[in-house]
Amino acid sequence: QSESSSPGGGGSTTTTPSKPVTQEDLPPPAPGTGGIQGQNIFDVKPEVKRDASSDPGYMQQNNGQRNAVQPHNNAPMWRGVQAGHEGYTSLPKSEAPEAGILIQGPVKYPGSYYTTAGQAWREVRNKYIVPYGAALLGIVVLALAIFYFTKGPVGESGPDSPGRKIERFTPFERAAHWSNAIAFCCLAISGIVMAWGKFFLQPVIGLTLFGYLTYVLKNLHNFMGPLFVVSLVIIFITFVRDNFPQKGDLRWVFTLGGAIGKKDAPSHRFNAGEKGVFWIGVFALGIIVVASGLVMDRLVPNVDYVRGTMQVTHMVHATAATLMIAVFLGHIYMGTVGMRGAYTAMRRGYVTESWAREHHAYWLEDIESGKVQAQRSHPPGTPPEAVPPRTVHPA
Amino acid sequence: MLLTKKTGDAQAQARSPFVHSLQRGLATAIPTMDRRAFLRRSGLGVGVGIAATQLALVKKAQAKDDNGPAVGEGRVEVKRTVCSHCSVGCAIDAVVENGVWVRQEPVFDSPINLGAHCAKGAAIREHGHGEFRLRYPMKLVNGKYQRISWDQALDEISAKVLELRKASGPEALYWIGSSKHSNEQSYLMRKFVSLWGSNNCDHQARICHSTTVAGVANTWGYGAMTNSYNDLQNSKCALYIGSNAAEAHPVSMLHMLHAKENGTKLIVCDPRFTRTAAKADEYVRIRSGSDIPFLFGVLYHVFKNGWEDKKYINDRVYGMDKVRDDVLAKWTPDKVQDACGVPEAQVLKVATMMAQNRPSTIVWCMGQTQHSIGNAIVRASCILQLALGNIGVSGGGANIFRGHDNVQGATDVGPNPDSLPGYYGIVEGSWKHYAKVWGVDYDWIKGRFADVGMMSKPGITVSRWIDGVLEKNEVIDQGPNLRGVFYWGHAPNSQTRGLEMKRAMDKLDLLVVVDPYPSATAAMAAMPGKPEDLNPNRAVYLLPAASQFETSGSVTASNRSVQWREKVIEPLWESRSDHMIMYQLADKLGFGKELVKTYKMQKVKGMDEPMPEEILREINKSNWSIGYTGQSPERLKAHMKLMANFDVKTLKAKGSAKDPATGYDIQGDYFGLPWPCYGTPELKHPGSPNLYDTSKNVMDGGGCFRANFGVEKDGVNLLAEDGSFPVGSDIHIGYPEIDHIFMKKLGWWGELTPEEQAAAEGKNWKTDLSGGMIRVAMKNHGVHPFGNAKARAVVWNFPDPIPQHREPIYSTRPDLVAKYPSHEDKKAFWRLPTLFKSLQQQNVENKLPEKFPLILSSGRLTEYEGGGEETRSNPWLAELQQEAFVEINPQAAAARNIRNGDRVWLKSPTGAQLNVMALVTDRVGPDTVWMPFHFSGRWQGADLLSYYPSGAAPIVRGEAVNTGTTYGYDSVTMMQETKTTICQVERA
Amino acid sequence: MARMKFICDSERCIECNSCVTACKNEHEVPWGVNRRRVVTLNDGVPGERSISVACMHCSDAPCMAVCPVNCFYRSEEGVVLHDKDVCIGCGYCSYACPFGAPQFPAAGTFGVRGKMDKCTFCAGGPEANGSQAEFEKYGRNRLAEGKLPLCAEMCSTKALVAGDGDVIADIFRNRVLKRGKGAEVWGWGTAYGSKQAGQPGGQKS
Ligand SMILES: Nc1nc2c(c(=O)[nH]1)N[C@H]1C(S)=C(S)[C@@H](COP(=O)(O)OP(=O)(O)OC[C@H]3O[C@@H](n4cnc5c(=O)[nH]c(N)nc54)[C@H](O)[C@@H]3O)O[C@H]1N2
Ligand SMILES: Nc1nc2c(c(=O)[nH]1)N[C@H]1C(S)=C(S)[C@@H](COP(=O)(O)OP(=O)(O)OC[C@H]3O[C@@H](n4cnc5c(=O)[nH]c(N)nc54)[C@H](O)[C@@H]3O)O[C@H]1N2
Ligand code: HEM
Ligand code: HEM
Ligand code: SF4
Ligand code: SF4
Ligand code: SF4
Ligand code: SF4
Ligand code: SF4
Ligand SMILES: [Mo]
Repeated sequence: QSESSSPGGGGSTTTTPSKPVTQEDLPPPAPGTGGIQGQNIFDVKPEVKRDASSDPGYMQQNNGQRNAVQPHNNAPMWRGVQAGHEGYTSLPKSEAPEAGILIQGPVKYPGSYYTTAGQAWREVRNKYIVPYGAALLGIVVLALAIFYFTKGPVGESGPDSPGRKIERFTPFERAAHWSNAIAFCCLAISGIVMAWGKFFLQPVIGLTLFGYLTYVLKNLHNFMGPLFVVSLVIIFITFVRDNFPQKGDLRWVFTLGGAIGKKDAPSHRFNAGEKGVFWIGVFALGIIVVASGLVMDRLVPNVDYVRGTMQVTHMVHATAATLMIAVFLGHIYMGTVGMRGAYTAMRRGYVTESWAREHHAYWLEDIESGKVQAQRSHPPGTPPEAVPPRTVHPA
Repeated sequence: MLLTKKTGDAQAQARSPFVHSLQRGLATAIPTMDRRAFLRRSGLGVGVGIAATQLALVKKAQAKDDNGPAVGEGRVEVKRTVCSHCSVGCAIDAVVENGVWVRQEPVFDSPINLGAHCAKGAAIREHGHGEFRLRYPMKLVNGKYQRISWDQALDEISAKVLELRKASGPEALYWIGSSKHSNEQSYLMRKFVSLWGSNNCDHQARICHSTTVAGVANTWGYGAMTNSYNDLQNSKCALYIGSNAAEAHPVSMLHMLHAKENGTKLIVCDPRFTRTAAKADEYVRIRSGSDIPFLFGVLYHVFKNGWEDKKYINDRVYGMDKVRDDVLAKWTPDKVQDACGVPEAQVLKVATMMAQNRPSTIVWCMGQTQHSIGNAIVRASCILQLALGNIGVSGGGANIFRGHDNVQGATDVGPNPDSLPGYYGIVEGSWKHYAKVWGVDYDWIKGRFADVGMMSKPGITVSRWIDGVLEKNEVIDQGPNLRGVFYWGHAPNSQTRGLEMKRAMDKLDLLVVVDPYPSATAAMAAMPGKPEDLNPNRAVYLLPAASQFETSGSVTASNRSVQWREKVIEPLWESRSDHMIMYQLADKLGFGKELVKTYKMQKVKGMDEPMPEEILREINKSNWSIGYTGQSPERLKAHMKLMANFDVKTLKAKGSAKDPATGYDIQGDYFGLPWPCYGTPELKHPGSPNLYDTSKNVMDGGGCFRANFGVEKDGVNLLAEDGSFPVGSDIHIGYPEIDHIFMKKLGWWGELTPEEQAAAEGKNWKTDLSGGMIRVAMKNHGVHPFGNAKARAVVWNFPDPIPQHREPIYSTRPDLVAKYPSHEDKKAFWRLPTLFKSLQQQNVENKLPEKFPLILSSGRLTEYEGGGEETRSNPWLAELQQEAFVEINPQAAAARNIRNGDRVWLKSPTGAQLNVMALVTDRVGPDTVWMPFHFSGRWQGADLLSYYPSGAAPIVRGEAVNTGTTYGYDSVTMMQETKTTICQVERA
Repeated sequence: MARMKFICDSERCIECNSCVTACKNEHEVPWGVNRRRVVTLNDGVPGERSISVACMHCSDAPCMAVCPVNCFYRSEEGVVLHDKDVCIGCGYCSYACPFGAPQFPAAGTFGVRGKMDKCTFCAGGPEANGSQAEFEKYGRNRLAEGKLPLCAEMCSTKALVAGDGDVIADIFRNRVLKRGKGAEVWGWGTAYGSKQAGQPGGQKS
């Protein structure tokens, strides 16, 4: 394809087809001047053959108008194609909503060039989400490892530390937490495999196995998502009461949760760090991930499930999910190896008084003052007592 | 178009798919790689040539009787056949493995289509699946179709037919044949009806190109396309008026677009901006039905500027002076614009393009024919071409694109109500001609008819069989009303006035549908109508016919080329070929022996069937008039095998080539021996690529206009003027057709052999069964057997000798109705009273144009064909058009608060209302709406699914436009007025 | 080695959909999956043009780049193919493809789509050439039989040509020379980079 024969975007390089010069093309002879005439070279104006591209409104012409002045010049149409204009197809919208679009129109997603939307999405995903997401998660893991190996588990009191047992999480709370945690782990692991598996897993297990595995995980992810939504809502309702800002939270923040001092800053049932996880991780990121996830699952009614929607949703989902994973990596770390006694609290439901004093001094105060019951559930095996009449809390 | 070939690639041995993919996967660690690396890493063998498995093209093959899958080891055969969906005649190579049609390959060798297809042709293999076809005979019992055996079906049907004959005579039955039948089947159908003793038969040509055939044949001799699709490449300018070739004859565009690249100008004149218009250099929007004002508007400028070909007109045209006077007086630019809406400048532009780029051609199709003045419109087109001297010229011509795959052949040799095969009129001489050919006694045939008078009385037309049922007996021009109807390869939703058709169907005593997809008729018959209309004794039968791929036979494309179809597969399910059914039914009706007397029989599925080759030979022996005599089975089969040896632009064989199977050498032939291919096959006439072409010897396909209308009219010479004759002719003046007297006078009689003399004595060239006269005239003297005459610009035997514009019966323009009223009503026209002016006036008086302000036109979509039941049963096609729609202009839509995709009610003056989707588009102007006519299975908003025979409903169903179309028929041929009626559209 | 490409000549394409049904026929593609489709721009008005589109077998294929399981590969002819055994049906390829080529047998809730299907340039898939398994998953492998894509072979007007990029570019250039104008090659800029052809705007996309 030689460059010269191809009209540029505006088709301005085209000329009208040359035709043999006939009598009509020649200028009429000047009247009244018979015989030979001298001509001053400066008077001779080169005949300007007007090209259609100098027509007024040339660039505004539609394809029909352009074809009328320059047959076969379809530049206006191609511009439309590039802009993602929708054409006619006989396929029903309900079955093939985007069949009429030849090339998805250009957009600029954050971080991408202004280019066809698919390409822009590809850039965002492959240039930002995948590498930076991996980096973020890698850094978090690394940081936690360093933390663990340098500082080790925090706290003195473990599951067997002295003092009476206080019920920290009721069986219901624990059930909700664990179903949520399991769903989350499934989603995170499957999500991680989808996003990064081809870099770390596929070279190890080979394409086919990786394909089968990811297929399973992908479907797991798709079906687990809605389950996760339910458990997340329950978690939120269950724990929201104790996650509002309270006395001591600021101090906790300023001392970085006791990292600066030798001891934990006193806190209520949950410290500011946990509250941060709750509001940022569970609530904010949770909503974003869940909402975008549900769209990607095509579960939200009245959404146009077209490529553009999916691209945006995906970018949101993947970004939020990565952040969420990062947050919960920290949470999980603290909940397992990072803090003595925390895991049993969630696993068995009970902490010792010393643990409570060490980490949640105000909470213990409340228990001791009777504001909060030390035992909220009925321990399994004990016959249910008559339910005490509910006390109405002032405001 | 093989552009490159892939080099022989590595080929893996078959192995367990799991192991295979596992290996492949385990070995893969790098994201992307080429296929070879991919395979290598998968540990697959390299080096086994793909060639080794080339033959095992197909794996899906399973013997039909499920004798286990036969992977790879099957018998792979390639059968050459021809697409059955339109008249372009695209060749197809069907790959058959173990009797199953598993694949379809393009035939690059075909000079007609060069491997190309449209959507329908590319999806034709679905016929070999036939999932939604009728599988066995069925009978309507208490509103439901029940399976019955063939024996029961034939017994009951024949008993009923004979009972009707006894009670009401042979005219009480009506036989609707098919343009989908092969030439042999069509011919046999006409023979069947003749031996039954009636002319009450017809087929699609009536509602397709009957006006063309009548108008054109009466102008210059034959009613067919003069040139060919290929010849479009030789045109310098083409006017498509009333043809949407891009959708109706898509592969013809291959030639046109190629021509266009070489500078041919394309003009499209159509009420719609069609896909063809999209390719035009000049698009002219006219009001539907106003072709004559436009064409004569063009002619006005031709005459005004003296662009007509004066010598040509002088030598070869009769009556142009009268036309000239008429046109110059009546079609001044203002009147043209008033009537058709085209401004003078554009009309002049078209005239200039046509006149200054000669040879220029004109292409028309249904846009011209389907009007109450169709016969006049097509003649106006002929006249324009005659004035420009474009007929009989390569690159010129009247390129009349025919419809169904074999509508040309079925018109030529099939069930027409007014002629016997080969346009032999239904006069005594013709009957005798055929009695002889059929080997039956003329008097016996005569005895089969109700009376002798009925023998020469044209039958009822398919467009109006319903009136044959519904009209009062005293007004119809035959003894009984119609009581039994055979739908033998014809859809119901293709005829107008659907509401009345439903009534007619209910009134019948017998309705038999012989069709691979009889379901549209079936559902319409089964759905409840008005109880008072239902004949309690009505019997409805469905017989599964085999498709054209389940038998063999010849088919005539639009360009008159005849092609031979090989049988691809055995008839599916319990279906039987049409000619087998005709034979079996005739046998039950008592004339089976006479029907097949002249044929050898062959066994198909253990039953007797007349051999198509034998029937073709009988056609060869009898159809002298139109030159269907040279196309012997051997010649046709050789052409099919040697397609590659024909030139694409001229269709002529490129030198000598012998077909090994038949030993026939195609040298000199034109592809498919386009009729007329005169004389016996031995004469080796090459066929006629372009009709009436005096620049060629008659033995090389040349010709002149036919002497069919006498030698003079009112003292004016009708024969060609001196000096106008086909190259190489011994006679240099005009002459009449050849008969025994002519031969003797010229002293050529002695050139006949004694046997030929015996056969030719007292005969003319058309009835001389020896073909001797033709041989002598053509071969020895270069003389055309049908004479050398002038074309008629004035057809004095037509209602309007000079074509006159007349408004459609249902018009939106009362002012124009006043100026251009329709004809007077006719009393006994094709056996029926027919309304013209009285109805037109009544419509104006009833203020219909105010109630129904939109012009309703209809036509085709590429994906569907005809009534559409076949193509809507093909998932590959059906997916592409899932909804019946009406095209409506944005302006008209906005005024009605209709948005694109809305459901609307389309209301017609008949009281019908159709529930369809609105396609808001600029394709149509604000005064016109347009619907595809291919849908059926929905009826005024209701789904007919439950009335279909179970399993035989098409995938896509929709509202048929013809449920709402109105009365209106051509004044010569009884063509229905489908292209122009009126309606109103409202949001549903 | 040949580099396979498509050209759809919008001056010729008449929206006859033969390319679409040829594909369905040859590969027995199920309802709802359109490996190829035809789009008409400026429908019904002067300047109307139709274009047939399928997978363009891009040089730097976005689909390939985003596939989370790497199931794409490129054949030696430059054909972009994929492995349905590995595909997880995530739909990412369809988000990335500018042409909307990847198709899915289902578009159900819970993000269930089934395995991706798209135009193979009639080159099958990773299974053994011409094997039953290959046919069932990817359709026929015409390239291995020495044939070119059926959609192009059956195109009613030869608007659609397929084959070695150099050869088909020549054919197209020939037509363009005859017409004198209109050298736009549909989609080449987007699919193969702007240097390949005169693409309006010449944008790098
Ligand atoms: N895909 C497909 N192809 C077919 C067929 C099919 O059913 N489907 N059927 C075959 C058959 S049987 C036939 S007869 C041919 C028909 O082929 P065509 O006649 O080309 O097709 P139609 O769509 O019926 O009509 C052609 C055009 O006539 C225009 N028209 C309507 N009224 C007028 C008028 O008054 N004047 C003029 N000048 N134009 C008018 C319509 O707008 C339409 O665009 O197609 C054959 N090919
Ligand atoms: N409103 C409106 N009406 C129209 C038209 C229009 O433009 N507008 N066009 C008119 C024209 S031009 C035509 S030609 C007609 C077409 O209309 P029809 O010819 O009535 O429609 P088809 O559906 O093609 O009908 C052919 C029937 O033959 C069957 N068939 C196919 N092959 C065989 C075979 O080998 N044997 C037997 N026995 N049957 C077979 C098919 O299954 C189908 O049922 O419609 C006309 N009606
Ligand atoms: C309501 C919950 C969720 C739903 C419905 C959901 C749904 C989805 C869907 C549909 C995809 C696209 C891939 C596919 O089709 O399988 C996806 C991708 C992904 N999801 Fe989720 N998801 C949910 C929650 C989560 C959570 C909680 C996480 C992380 C903790 C997560 C992480 C990811 C990741 C990392 C990807 C891959 C992104 C990529 O490959 O670029 N998802 N999710
Ligand atoms: C394997 C994963 C997880 C482990 C091991 C884990 C562990 C823990 C532990 C030990 C606690 C108790 C901390 C304490 O006593 O103060 C806790 C609390 C909590 N966890 Fe988890 N967790 C996991 C995942 C999750 C997930 C996925 C969520 C929600 C999306 C979540 C939400 C919470 C909440 C809301 C609390 C209560 C503290 C608060 O509200 O801040 N956990 N978790
Ligand atoms: S329908 Fe006509 S144009 Fe289409 S493939 Fe068949 S014969 Fe050819
Ligand atoms: S057209 Fe789409 S699917 Fe095909 S290679 Fe390009 S990006 Fe991939
Ligand atoms: S749908 Fe399949 S091919 Fe497409 S990106 Fe996902 S895994 Fe890859
Ligand atoms: S190349 Fe083959 S697979 Fe691709 S669209 Fe064409 S026919 Fe279908
Ligand atoms: S087959 Fe050719 S002309 Fe028809 S739609 Fe496809 S590309 Fe266009
Ligand atoms: Mo027709």
